[in-house]
Amino acid sequence: MKLGAFRLILTALALPASVSTAAPASDGAAALDQQQAQRIDPQYSCIVCHTDMRRAFLEGVHSERGIRCHDCHGGDPRAFEVAAAHADPSFVGTPDKIQIVELCSSCHSDPNQMRQYGLTVGQLAEFQTSRHGQLLLRDRNFDAPTCTDCHNAHMILPPNDARSNVYPTNIVITCARCHENAALMGKYGLQIDQVKNYRESAHGVALFQSSNFAAPTCIDCHGSHAALPPAVLQIANVCGHCHVLVRRAFYAGPHGKAALDGRLPGCTACHSNHGTERVLPEGIADTCVNCHGADTPAVAHGEEVERLAIHATEELGSAAAAIDELVVAGHRTSDVQFRYQTARTSYLQIGQAQHSLDLTALEDLSREVASISRDIRGVAEVAAEHRWEHKLILLPVWFLTLSVTVLAWFRIRSSRREGSS
Amino acid sequence: MERPRPLQWLAQFWADLKRSTDAGILGVARFLGLLYGPIDRSLPIDQALRKALRHRLPSYVGWRHAFGGITYLLFMALVVTGVLLAFYYRPSPQEAYPSIQFIVSEVPMGWLVRDLHVWSANLIVIALLAHMARVFFAAAYKPPRETNWLIGLLLLFVVLVFGGTGYLLPWDQWSYWTVTEVLDTIDGVPVIGALADLLRGDVIVSGATLGRFFALHVIILPWIAFALILFHFNLTRKHGIAPPQGRERGEGVGVPFFPIHLLRSFTVGTLVLAVTITAAALFPRPIGDPADAFQLPDRLVSSWVVVDVSLALIRYLGTWGFVLFTALGIALALLPLFDRRPEYRLRRRPLALILGLLFFGGYLVAWAAGRQLTSAPPNLETRQETVNPSSEPAPQPQEERSEERTSEFQEGEL
Repeated sequence: MKLGAFRLILTALALPASVSTAAPASDGAAALDQQQAQRIDPQYSCIVCHTDMRRAFLEGVHSERGIRCHDCHGGDPRAFEVAAAHADPSFVGTPDKIQIVELCSSCHSDPNQMRQYGLTVGQLAEFQTSRHGQLLLRDRNFDAPTCTDCHNAHMILPPNDARSNVYPTNIVITCARCHENAALMGKYGLQIDQVKNYRESAHGVALFQSSNFAAPTCIDCHGSHAALPPAVLQIANVCGHCHVLVRRAFYAGPHGKAALDGRLPGCTACHSNHGTERVLPEGIADTCVNCHGADTPAVAHGEEVERLAIHATEELGSAAAAIDELVVAGHRTSDVQFRYQTARTSYLQIGQAQHSLDLTALEDLSREVASISRDIRGVAEVAAEHRWEHKLILLPVWFLTLSVTVLAWFRIRSSRREGSS
Repeated sequence: MERPRPLQWLAQFWADLKRSTDAGILGVARFLGLLYGPIDRSLPIDQALRKALRHRLPSYVGWRHAFGGITYLLFMALVVTGVLLAFYYRPSPQEAYPSIQFIVSEVPMGWLVRDLHVWSANLIVIALLAHMARVFFAAAYKPPRETNWLIGLLLLFVVLVFGGTGYLLPWDQWSYWTVTEVLDTIDGVPVIGALADLLRGDVIVSGATLGRFFALHVIILPWIAFALILFHFNLTRKHGIAPPQGRERGEGVGVPFFPIHLLRSFTVGTLVLAVTITAAALFPRPIGDPADAFQLPDRLVSSWVVVDVSLALIRYLGTWGFVLFTALGIALALLPLFDRRPEYRLRRRPLALILGLLFFGGYLVAWAAGRQLTSAPPNLETRQETVNPSSEPAPQPQEERSEERTSEFQEGEL
């Protein structure tokens, strides 16, 4: 009996703690949980049953803004009986996908409420233009995602929180949850290799391996709330958003005009879309063959571009090797490094200018790279000659050494003779 | 005919000097290895010199006894080149690397001084070990010479610390990461680990480490080395060169010091210096990119024998292999305290033979194995991976800047 009462007291004491701390990693985490627990009135009845949701919700931004369960789900949080709490006429329970859009946009489309947080209000309007939005809102197709599919229902985090589904390194996985689902995508005739290709692309490597957050993710080309594949005519503009100089060169050349007429799918014609395949200098002419066919004047032009690009690559490579040689030999290289940067700038300009197919411009740039490379190699050669001259010191050194040895030998021999005689 | 005044003064000075019975100058000459044998303090200096020159070395002194002298010659070469390097070297992370570049490429004959220093540091280890092996296998460490054996081992230790501290000074990627790896290994040894922290003076190898290493290398160690050398030489003079089994000490009956032994020594010295200069001219030490605490080099180039040996022990046998080999070295040091029988013949000293072969053979094997190691420290790579935990494959150990240069243009937008 006594033990029973004691256990009751213990349970009563432990209850608030068990509600607020599922598995505190440390004292610090426990303190944080306690702090969060104070944000919700312990008399608030939803949390008695919906513990998991409460925990998730407390992690998100909405709990900080004073939003409570019943703001979205309705019901009576003051009633402690389940039936009474859910019987309130405002009770929504789990909203369906369309209700969710309405619920979120009731605040997020209101400039008066969003202004204070510096948030834009265009999400709903954008969503309506997206393929997702059209399927959901127009066709009432519940395969399409709604707000909570990407942003989470309860643990809603800002995009700059690394735990967020829409954080740059997570967003690809968020999209992949549906777009790698073969059964789901098969219904709409969509492929499922986008994410795989993206991971192997220059963009994916930059993002995942170099943690370069300037690299584009899915949403940078397709839009986030307004997600749609870019139209054929828009592709060069989408890529050109970052690759500004390439876009300029592209539109200046014949391919740009073809793209404007809709006869060429922009950048993707040579580089593919999600894989962003790189065309290496030695592969330029082969790429031309894909569309123009072998032995055509266009391919001959491509071969000339290829020759210039390869020439510049080799020149830059030999300049780099010459600098390495200078570094290893202990020469100061700041001057040649500076010149190397100039050559590299011209080299990168070749990469941009070749999109215009302008041979004159390419020849100029290639010549510039070659000329600087020749200078750098010259410096390395002069240094190497000086180093070779160092070896000449061996002539006097060994002449003296051998002379000393021979003389000493004679002297020792004569001393021995004197000694023995 | 009256002499000009300066000459008069010089003649007077020389006469005073001759009258002096103090053999201090001869003592210095003897310390510098220029004279051999006892010096009579009661004679005028010229007679004392003549007497010393007439000294006869024992007949059993041969070419194999030259290694000690070679070690000393190389030590003096290191002192001279080191002082010359100190004129231009700047011991700070910002200036160390450029100052080496300046020495190598701008200072007249700077390349020679610097590469002589590097090559002397290598050859001194070889000469020292050869000297040590000769003494060990000839049982010259036995009483009454056991103190000198211990001093010799202390000198070996001093030379190793000299090289270890000097190795960091170029402050390039290779020296930086080699020192990091070795200090990390020592860190793993109980008790002695604290010493590594003390030497490092920081959580990573940094300017604090460079300052400590420089001070040890050019201020502290030279004094210790000179004191030990003085002691080592004096004891050698006192006890003479150990005779082979069954022979008496033969001082005063063999080859005369002057001119035969002096000429021999002079020839050996000239040859050693010529070999060192040849090595320096033909194989200059390559220089890596400037040290970068945030970038692992994709290869390591070692330029010191002991580094090859240490890395081989660390990479193939781990921390404890390194510790055990050091313990073997200490066992060799303590051997004279136990092995006091007057037995000089190697056949009758199986334990000494085994220990000696293990140590000297192990050293050679580890050296050969270390020459094959050119990769960046593997344990540091794993450390870097644990720093960046992610589902993605960990970033490749950053390539050397030179590699970047070569790969940059491949990554261009062509």
